[in-house]
This record gives sequence, structure tokens and C-alpha cells, in this order.
Amino acid sequence: MEIVEGETSCAGKKKHKKKDRNRSVFIFFCILPAILFLVIFLYYPIEETFRLSLTKTTGLSKEVFVGTDNYQRLFHDEEFFAGLKHVFSWAFWSIVIQLPLSFFIAFSLTYYSNRFTRPLQAVFFLPNVLPSAITAMLGKFVFAPNYGLIVSLGKVLGWKWLASIDFLGNPNLAFWAIFAIATWAYSGFYVIYLMSRIEQIPRELREAAELDGASMWSYARRIVLPELNYPLRILAVLCTVGSLKLFDLPNMMTTGGPGNATVTLGITLYRHGFINWNYGKAAAIGVVIFVLSLVFTILQFSLGRKKDEAI
Amino acid sequence: MKKSRIFALCFLIVCLFSTAVLSADEVKLTIWGRDIPDDSADHAYVHALINGFQAKYPDVKIDYIALGDPGLADKTKITMATGSGLPDIFQTWGGSVMGGYADAGMLFDLTNELKGIPCSDAARQAMTWKGKIYGVAPFFAVAGIFVNEGIFKANNLKVPATIEEFDKVCDALKAKGIQPFACGEKDKWPALALYMYLTNRYGGDASAKAAARQIPYDSDAFVKAAQLYQSWIKKGYFGATPLGEGYGDAQQLMATGKAAMHITGSWMCAQYANSEFTDQTIGFYAFPAFKSGGVGTVNDIMGQTDIGFAATKVAASKKDAVVKFLKYAMSTEACEAEPGRICSVPGVKAKSSLTAQAAAVFATAKTVTFWWDQDLPPSVTSPLNDMLQTFFLPGADVKKSLSSFEALCVENIGPVKK
Repeated sequence: MEIVEGETSCAGKKKHKKKDRNRSVFIFFCILPAILFLVIFLYYPIEETFRLSLTKTTGLSKEVFVGTDNYQRLFHDEEFFAGLKHVFSWAFWSIVIQLPLSFFIAFSLTYYSNRFTRPLQAVFFLPNVLPSAITAMLGKFVFAPNYGLIVSLGKVLGWKWLASIDFLGNPNLAFWAIFAIATWAYSGFYVIYLMSRIEQIPRELREAAELDGASMWSYARRIVLPELNYPLRILAVLCTVGSLKLFDLPNMMTTGGPGNATVTLGITLYRHGFINWNYGKAAAIGVVIFVLSLVFTILQFSLGRKKDEAI
Repeated sequence: MKKSRIFALCFLIVCLFSTAVLSADEVKLTIWGRDIPDDSADHAYVHALINGFQAKYPDVKIDYIALGDPGLADKTKITMATGSGLPDIFQTWGGSVMGGYADAGMLFDLTNELKGIPCSDAARQAMTWKGKIYGVAPFFAVAGIFVNEGIFKANNLKVPATIEEFDKVCDALKAKGIQPFACGEKDKWPALALYMYLTNRYGGDASAKAAARQIPYDSDAFVKAAQLYQSWIKKGYFGATPLGEGYGDAQQLMATGKAAMHITGSWMCAQYANSEFTDQTIGFYAFPAFKSGGVGTVNDIMGQTDIGFAATKVAASKKDAVVKFLKYAMSTEACEAEPGRICSVPGVKAKSSLTAQAAAVFATAKTVTFWWDQDLPPSVTSPLNDMLQTFFLPGADVKKSLSSFEALCVENIGPVKK
């Protein structure tokens, strides 16, 4: 009897093992397309970019191994440093201007939520769904000299000082003109994200604060802001990583000019690779962007882990 | 029932066989171009070329893909680099960009097939690289001065016959509140035509010598030309906001009579002669020389291919169809549809007096210098246009900008040979 039981359990184990193996094979085949997709379209290009960054090639010519020469050249490249400076400035001002502005709008819309303010959510989010090309065209329409919206307004009001400003052609103003358009275009996402987090704060907290005589400002500062500490940090990291990859708006509005006034790392990469046919140097810039993005992504994950530990 | 099935099967086989035979006879050519072949005046030639060829040669199926600008350049560059997905024919301005593709073995040598096609020497030269002809250039562009003759007449001004006369004319125009030159320097390349002319007028073949590394790009002629250019910018001859205006804005300034002159390529003839685009009377003039002290003459012209086509190596298996297409591109039948560009094919008459004026300027050319940003190695052409934009920046040191560009040329082309 015992022997029979043992045999039964042995056969059962074998059956289980077979079932597990079949399950593993099934799972493997299920995730295989995703693995192949990642390897072909993500890891292979990353590896190729690293490899290319150590070579000198026009794309048409033979690749010549030059070691770290492309990276060393970047240290003497004015355009690269201008791009680096601009993406970090962009990140800094995004955090200092775009995030507080988004918080102000998100808080106002949730604090004064009624049937009139609800449609405003869509209004603030709308620019975010516009293609960059349209946003850039609108930006040019607003800031262009001669026929631009602001210049025309200056002409109508008789304000010569306003009518004569060349927003996109002045090296000191071009960056800010693009930044203004980007703030309009990108803040919608931050607003919606922050609104969703503010709405998660228990209503009782607000009622209790109001009963204690807390003003709107006190409620925002002492209850809402501490609750948004983590989402705001995540948005700050997203701003920084997004700034490192910045390309579309500056390229379409000013092509990085005048001079190098609005050049970004993305524009420098595009110029070296696709216009100057210097794929090695372009790949080196790509690696720099990748490494910087990776650093900030790790930062993002470490922030997340800290939050999880706190919970 | 059985008979009808057999009949149906036979019918199917015959149909499949006939389709296979027809497909075998039909050749498909993939062509990458810049413009859409629609009904607009700007695209009249491409429209006539594609439709006319298709009607004349129904056995050759054309798959024409309009990629725009810079889409055409970018896509061509990437496919040439990878070597796969190449079209049979692509639109190109020739010069060193096409030469780079030829050096990489991506193009199809058609010297024997194309050398007999009648066309201007400059057009043939633009599509030739290291002695081999890779394509055709049915239209050629030259740079000159588009002048608003109405403004000049109303203000009793004469079109400058020497470079020295520009200051007087420009000051007079400015005093009347008219912007002397339209430029559109936000797009960077529009400043090149004038700089090429000024360099030539100061130093003759200085640009050819610099490209051949006989002299540096910060030598006398280049510096003097840059300094004169900068002095004109400082005097406001290009308006108050040249860096904020794109090439399209510059066209609008001319079209609306707000600017009096535009130094650019003859491709603008069609638009400046079009009464729907502008109500101004515009003429085309050769860029003058210095009255004294200069080297270059009024017969030294800047320009290059306006519309050109070259064949790639994948076209080798369809040689007959490719040659048919390139010959048709150079036919009077196709070229006569173009309303504004200068045709390289003898016997094609200019459609407008403005194009005729531009063609007359081209006819006087003793030397033709190709656009530097198309003829120099691609590694330095974009920095060249970036450098030109710095001339417009307040307080820019043009000598320093030229020295930086020379350093880049040393790195990419080589040092000056002693």
C-alpha cells in the first residue's frame, strides 16, 4: 500500500514537473516577441551607438577605430557645451517655473472645482496633445518679427518698443521665447498629473483644515504640498530627462540659432550625424545623452524606492 | 458540373499566366524627389515629367515619392549609408554630396549614355564627379540681385553697377523707410550667395584655392568680404530683424514692396514673376564688381543645379528604363512646363521676362562657382552656414569666426599645403 502511495506521489511529481516545464515553455514563448523587440530595437541600437562612438565614419566610408577621440573632441566643441548648458538651463527653469505654475493651476482647478472650471482641464491639456510641429508653428506665429502676434499687438497699441522686439532673432531672447511656448505646451500634462494626485487627498483633511480656520494658502502649503512631495520630485526628474532629449521645438523654431543661442544636445547630435556626416561624433553625443538620462532615471527609481520604504 | 470546374481552372491558369507575362514586361522605377507632382506652378515641371513620362512609356511604371526638404536629403543619406532600400533614381543638386555617394560606390555610372545629351557645360559639370557622369540637371540656378524696379524708379535710383554704389543706394532707400535687402538669415543658408559674391569680387578664385587647401579660409579675401558684409548689417541694410526672419519672410518683404533687393537664386523667378504672388515689378541683375581694387568680375557667377536627378547602383538592372527617364527629364517636352527656372537644355525658351533676364546673366558667365554649402565636404558645410549667421550677431568678431571655420577645415579637409 505504502509502495503504491510512493509510486503515485512519484508519478504525481513527474507530472507536476512536466506541467511546470510546459508552463515555463509557454511563458517563454509568450514573452519571446517582447524580448526580441527589446533586443532588436533597444539594446542593439544602444550597443551600436556605443560602438560607433569609438569610430570615425561618414556612414558611407569605412569605420576607423579612434578610441575615445570623439569624446575628447567634444570637450573642445563650443556647440556641444552650448547644448549642454542649454539643456541644463532648460531643466532648471522648467523646475523653477513650469512646476510651480502647474501646481498653482492644478490646485486652483481642484480647490475651486465647479461646472465652470471643469472644462478648463481640457483647455490646459489641449496644447499637450498638439504635434510639436504645430506648436512650433504657433510659436513662430506669436514671436515672429514683422507679422507676429506680439509685434502686431505692439503696432496696434502704438508701442514701438514692443513692435521692434525680435524675439527669435535676438540671442538673449530666443531661448526664452521657445521656453514660453514649451511652458504653454507641456504644462498641461503636469497640471493633469498633479490634479489627479490632489484629488486623492482625503476631503476630510480639507474640511478639518477649514474648520480650524485655515486659509486657502495655509491648506495648500501645509497639507497639499507635503502630500505632493513625491509626485513633484518625479515630475522634476521627468523635466530633467525630457530637457536632455530636447530637440523638436528649438529645431523647428530657430534651428538652434541665432548662433548657438538655442542649440541643444539633440540638435548638436542631429547636425553632426545627419548634416556634417560625422556619425562617430554624433554617436558620442548620443552616449552622453544616454548616460545623463540613465543617471537621472536611476535617481527617479531611487526616489521611488525611498517612498516605498517610507510607506 | 465537372466540365465547368475544368473550364474555371483553365481560365484561372490563363489569367495568372497572362498577368505573369505582363508583369515580366513591366519595369518599375522608384524615384525619390523633393516636390509633390501636383498642379501648383512651383511643381509644374515635376508634374509634367512624371505624367508625361508615364504616358509616353506605359511599360515603365513610375513610383515617385515626394520627400520634401530636408526629408529627401536625410532619407537619401541614411539609405546610402546602409546600402539597402535605395531608389533607382533620386533628386540631387550634384556636387560633393553626390560625389560622396559616388565615392562610396552607391551610384550608377552613366557617362556613355548621358554624355551626348545637349545641355550647358555648368549643368553637366554639376552632375559629374571625378570624370564620370551620374545624372542630369535639367535646370540650373544662378544667384543674382532681384531688384524691385518700381521702388528704384519711384525714388530715382539706379541699380548699383559697382559694389561701391551699394552704400549710396542703400542709404537712400533706408531714408525712405524701405529695407534695402531682404535676407531671411534665420534659415542660415540665405546669407551665402552674397558672401560668395563678395569673396569672389575681393579675391577672384579664393574659394577654389581655399577648397584645394592652397589658402586658408581666414585669408584676406574672406576677411574683407566678411567685414564689408558686417558693415552693411550694422548699417541696417538687412532690416532690424534679419535673424528673426526666415527665407519665406524675406520673399514676403520683396513681394509686398517692403524690401528693395534680394540677393538669391534664380529659382525665385517663377514666384517674383507671378502676379498672384506679388504686385511689384521685379527684375534680375548680375551682381556687380568693385570699381577699383577688386579681382572678380561681373562674369563670375555663383550657382548650381536647381533640379537634377542621379541614378543609384540598384538601377543597373533597369538601365534602359533609367536612361529613358533621364533623357525624358532633359527633353523640351518636359522642360517647357517649367514656368520660372533656367533650363539647361538648349531650345527651351524662358516663360517669363524675369527668367529670361536670369538666363541672360547665366549666359554671360565665364566662371561658375558652385554653392559652397553643396560643393565642400559635408563635414564643413553646416558649420559654414552657422558661421555666416554669426556675422549678423551684435559684436561678432568675423575674423575669429573665419579662423574657427578654418580650424574645422584643417581637421576635416586637411591643412593648407605650402
